[in-house]
Amino acid sequence: MNDLTQSTLAQPKVVGQRTPRIDGEFKLTGRAGYTGELSVEGMLYGYPVAASIAHGTLERLELDEALAMPGVVDIFHHANFPRLHRSPNSMGHGDQVSEVRLPFEDERIYYHGQYVALVVAESFAQARAAAQRVVARYRQETGAISSLLDGAHDSHTEGELLEDSGTTRGDPEAAFAGAAVQIDAVYHIAAESHLQMEMHATLAEWRDDGSRLVVHESSQGVFYQRNAMARIFDLAQENIEVISHYIGSGFGNKLFMWPHAVAAAGAARELGRPLKLVLPRAQDMTGGGNRPASRQRLRLGADRDGRLNAVIHDSTTETSLVDRYVDACGSATPSFYACDNLAVSQRILALNHGTPCPMRAPGEVSGIFALETAMDELAVALAMDPVELRLRNYAHEDPESGLPWSSKQLDKCLHSAAERFGWAQRDPGIGAMRDGDEIIGYGMAACTWFAGRQPCQARVELRADGTLFAACGTQDIGTGTYTIVAQTVAELTGVAVADIEVKLGETSLPTGPLSGGSMATATTLPAVAAAVRDALSALKEVATGHGGVFAGVDADSLTVAEGALSDGERSHSFAEVLEAMRLSSVNGQGSSAPGEEKKQYSFRSFGAHFVEVRVDPSISRVRVARVVSSMDIGRAINPPTARNQVEGGIVMGIGMGLFEKLDYDPRDARLINANVADYIVPVHADIPEIDVELLDYPDFKFNEFGARGVGEIGLTGIAPAISNALYHATGKRYRDLPVTIEALLADHASG
Amino acid sequence: MRAFDFSRAESVGSAAQHGNAETAFVAGGTTLLDLVKLDVMRPAAVVDINALPLKTVERLADGRLRIGALVTNTDLAHHPEVKRDYPLLSQALLAGASTQLRNMATTAGNLMQRTRCPYFRDVGSACNKRQPGSGCDARDGINRMHALLGGSADCIAVHPSDMCVALAAIGATLTLEGPAGEREVAFADFHPLPGDTPHIEHDLAADELITALTLDAPLTLDAPLARAGSHYLKLRDRASYEFALASAAVQLNLDGERITEARLALGGVATKPWRASEAEAALVGRPAELASFERAAEIALRDARPLAHNAFKVDLAKQAIVRALRDATRAARQGGTDTQESQA
Amino acid sequence: MMDDSVHSPTRRGTPAPTLNVNFTLNQQPISLEVAPNAVLLDVLREQLGLGGTKKGCDHGQCGACTVHVDGQAMNACLRLAVMCEGQHVTTVEGLAREGELHPVQQSFLACDAFQCGYCTPGQMMSATALLNDARIGSDDAAVKEAMSGNICRCGAYKNILTAIQQARATLADDATRRAGEGTP
Repeated sequence: MNDLTQSTLAQPKVVGQRTPRIDGEFKLTGRAGYTGELSVEGMLYGYPVAASIAHGTLERLELDEALAMPGVVDIFHHANFPRLHRSPNSMGHGDQVSEVRLPFEDERIYYHGQYVALVVAESFAQARAAAQRVVARYRQETGAISSLLDGAHDSHTEGELLEDSGTTRGDPEAAFAGAAVQIDAVYHIAAESHLQMEMHATLAEWRDDGSRLVVHESSQGVFYQRNAMARIFDLAQENIEVISHYIGSGFGNKLFMWPHAVAAAGAARELGRPLKLVLPRAQDMTGGGNRPASRQRLRLGADRDGRLNAVIHDSTTETSLVDRYVDACGSATPSFYACDNLAVSQRILALNHGTPCPMRAPGEVSGIFALETAMDELAVALAMDPVELRLRNYAHEDPESGLPWSSKQLDKCLHSAAERFGWAQRDPGIGAMRDGDEIIGYGMAACTWFAGRQPCQARVELRADGTLFAACGTQDIGTGTYTIVAQTVAELTGVAVADIEVKLGETSLPTGPLSGGSMATATTLPAVAAAVRDALSALKEVATGHGGVFAGVDADSLTVAEGALSDGERSHSFAEVLEAMRLSSVNGQGSSAPGEEKKQYSFRSFGAHFVEVRVDPSISRVRVARVVSSMDIGRAINPPTARNQVEGGIVMGIGMGLFEKLDYDPRDARLINANVADYIVPVHADIPEIDVELLDYPDFKFNEFGARGVGEIGLTGIAPAISNALYHATGKRYRDLPVTIEALLADHASG
Repeated sequence: MRAFDFSRAESVGSAAQHGNAETAFVAGGTTLLDLVKLDVMRPAAVVDINALPLKTVERLADGRLRIGALVTNTDLAHHPEVKRDYPLLSQALLAGASTQLRNMATTAGNLMQRTRCPYFRDVGSACNKRQPGSGCDARDGINRMHALLGGSADCIAVHPSDMCVALAAIGATLTLEGPAGEREVAFADFHPLPGDTPHIEHDLAADELITALTLDAPLTLDAPLARAGSHYLKLRDRASYEFALASAAVQLNLDGERITEARLALGGVATKPWRASEAEAALVGRPAELASFERAAEIALRDARPLAHNAFKVDLAKQAIVRALRDATRAARQGGTDTQESQA
Repeated sequence: MMDDSVHSPTRRGTPAPTLNVNFTLNQQPISLEVAPNAVLLDVLREQLGLGGTKKGCDHGQCGACTVHVDGQAMNACLRLAVMCEGQHVTTVEGLAREGELHPVQQSFLACDAFQCGYCTPGQMMSATALLNDARIGSDDAAVKEAMSGNICRCGAYKNILTAIQQARATLADDATRRAGEGTP
């Protein structure tokens, strides 16, 4: 038997193996309790009244009719909502919120959908009915700014330049001016909605005479919400518990708390009763986060051989009038390709929208659309295969930090995906490949996402009933965190996954990370492993102590396998060890944090997408027919769930490429398509053949599991691969997302 | 969602007696519940008509097909006689909404479907259809989804139904029943143009109920030797579960290469299910070839009045027409079997 | 905090009238008092505590609330509870029988046909309905079209399709086996 105590995870048995989700049965039987379906005794329901204008002042609320309706308990608004404090809103101090303005703080209206009142009633139906009878009188003002892209704004002169968000190396302007081949183009991406299936939801309950607050929230970061609520309600952190066991996904808009949760908790405290608030979809879309629109200018300078000597990436993105969100489009650019002369700049423009927030691969996905489309344009200008162009500018070390990569296999991704796709069969001529009514276009793009880690703590119990328990205050937003934690415990103890209980998503548990940035796996598992080892060491101490089953044996000589300790001759299960001492369990604590490795290496995942589009120009129809991808993400802890992440990113990328656009009325900045029918996302019928390969190059320089994270990278690079394929099919360069039927028809009409 | 009284109608007569301006009949509920939740529809009373005996499809002696008002969209789309004689209708039904919604939605409910104009659906916006005299926020707003044909200064809202586009091409008669007894209305006359009364959406009194829809005899019946073909083509952003940006319903009879009869209706571009009669006339007697199709498409869109965001639909609708005509021709040449996909 | 000086919660208004409705829910007869305008979805989630049926849009636009009414997939968010009188309603809680997962649930687990799990009950209710409906084709394109009323924002569509086709095969095998067992 191998001794798991000495395991280096170099050749794991459970980690890296297909493992059905341990929370799967709960989700599949309807027993998984998402926030919106929880209830507690005496619970009230809240329903916000949302501003119907985007710019102006709330002059008057007429509440009499609503207050007289059945079941209505109270209505909160600017005049009677308790005066609270703002959160310091610090990422470093863990109290970041999504929108720093408190609900009902003043009577200015900054965006359509801003909460102007909260109706509280005995049932959801009663609360909604009464909310619809609240009459709000506004003084609407002209001059609402509806979009960065409405034609009135020039990103290069407008907006606020963020001096600390840029980077420069070499002399990019001079290098670009002198480049033999130049690409200079502007790219626009429409604002998008996360449209996570479960709307934002809060269930707030004050206990112990209002001294303690328990909040169930559909959250990607329970600790951030706890810390922010402590500041806002002026409570000790210890007196607030935030719980999020099941999350109907988030894609970034549930990382940090929104004002609805403050409204719910504030009203619950005033009324002395628990209160549940589930945002209706329209309000979720107006005030629950969005990916801001972006305008990017990309300049590439290269020599005749295609070697980049200048990259200049200038971006402007939207923020709101009540917070400052920066969607850093250029953040991947400095590290993507080898180039001595580079500049990245970032501006933000405040307008009348609900505050934008991170949405899957925030910033980078937008920047990579511009960069990878520009690279395709450069390949065309050079008459070079776009795969070759990327290999020719391959960054063998991180050109920004100068550090070597911990593990970079982009070249293998490019070769493998090209091979499986059949890239060699591509006829590079525009519109040269046809099938019946359809023109076939092939396109490709490289993609990347940074690899990061956060500090993390975890706790593990070995129990006398033979089961194990692992706990960490991170969340499983659908990525499979519950299961990989169980795999980790199983790996290091030899206990079956079925005998391992995992608890996540509570601030009463050891501090865990945000479920975001593709960091949860690399952050959480090392802490869980440390906790397992600590628990095993406690168990060995018990086993070798007076009266123990291995009394007198040197604890360090005991080995661990299949849920048992062994001294080489005898073997005793964990349960036997504990029972012999009449112990219910032993406990282990573990923590981990990024360390010295960051000074030695740069860490990034890379990948390549190859896309086949089918364009039927006579009916202006585009469909993505095929996607072949290779991803270098380090080790996949649970390959099916990791692959599912990439496939889901590809689907979202098809939406970004072809469908998704929040429509703000240019006259008054009202969001016109705040519903699931008019905001178009991919459905089953849109799904192409998808072939995702996960290369298996564990990144042990990053952590002992070799995992870098996989949540975002699949989305990056899809939109440019689609637009590049469309260029191949039509000869027209699509630099604005989504690529609409209008844009195709413009192409068709102009021949 | 406002409170309302609820009752179940036991007979058509009793249902009709309940009918008044404050009452809504509910069958599938897919439009009613949606709009009541948005506070766009505010019935004081809802009468459930699902118990009424209006769920049969029967062939009449004259060859027409009589469809009970409560036959669901799913059942109608899959009905053997519809699939055989009216594949156009089956295709159009299946191109609409989702499986779930088609399982709920009824024939009469589909006829009564209301527009998807976002300004109609938002009580915070001005809309002459929802609130007569309040104005039209769509005209100078985001009007990508709006009508090119049949609009007025007061309203440019598109009729959203796919089924009705096929009906416009096939021809049908509605049977309505009220206190004064039964009457019949031609399908083409049922949905008025908005004019300056966009709130009047149909020729149905508050105390009347649609009891049946009778399809005209299949085109092939009058010309049994003709080769008949049909096609419904729906163009939209994504591949399914989205309202049409433009759709075309086509029925053709061919005599050799010549078109002897043509029916053409458009969806997604007009304020009512839009029969393109002049384009039909221009097709008859012509060879079934691209030039004829393109000419018909030009004629069908001749009166289009594009707005700021929907001008592309002029071209898109023409494309839908040309392709649907081509595919209906192919179907006719293959003996009427329509093997083409209907959705795009 | 809850001293008398602050805001005292007083319930205003009068209770709304209710109607009695009787239907079969997951094979059990049920009798309920509901408001005339109560929506089936809200009654399931809030009144009956059956949270498996999800709310994703409340307007028939996402499919998360899909249930079976007399065997047909329908959006519970667009159905009045009182309209279910005399009908058979099945929710995701009624899919598993005697503690054993339905073949569709089993295949969803085996194929990892979900991520966050929020749309999943609706996906499975649509899947089970379509597998019972001979009018819907069995090829991938037909299944994808028939399933398009169920949005999965996590984008697990590929695995959902695989799971449905795998469940189809399992159900066919089961039917064959049962037929075999029935033969003396």
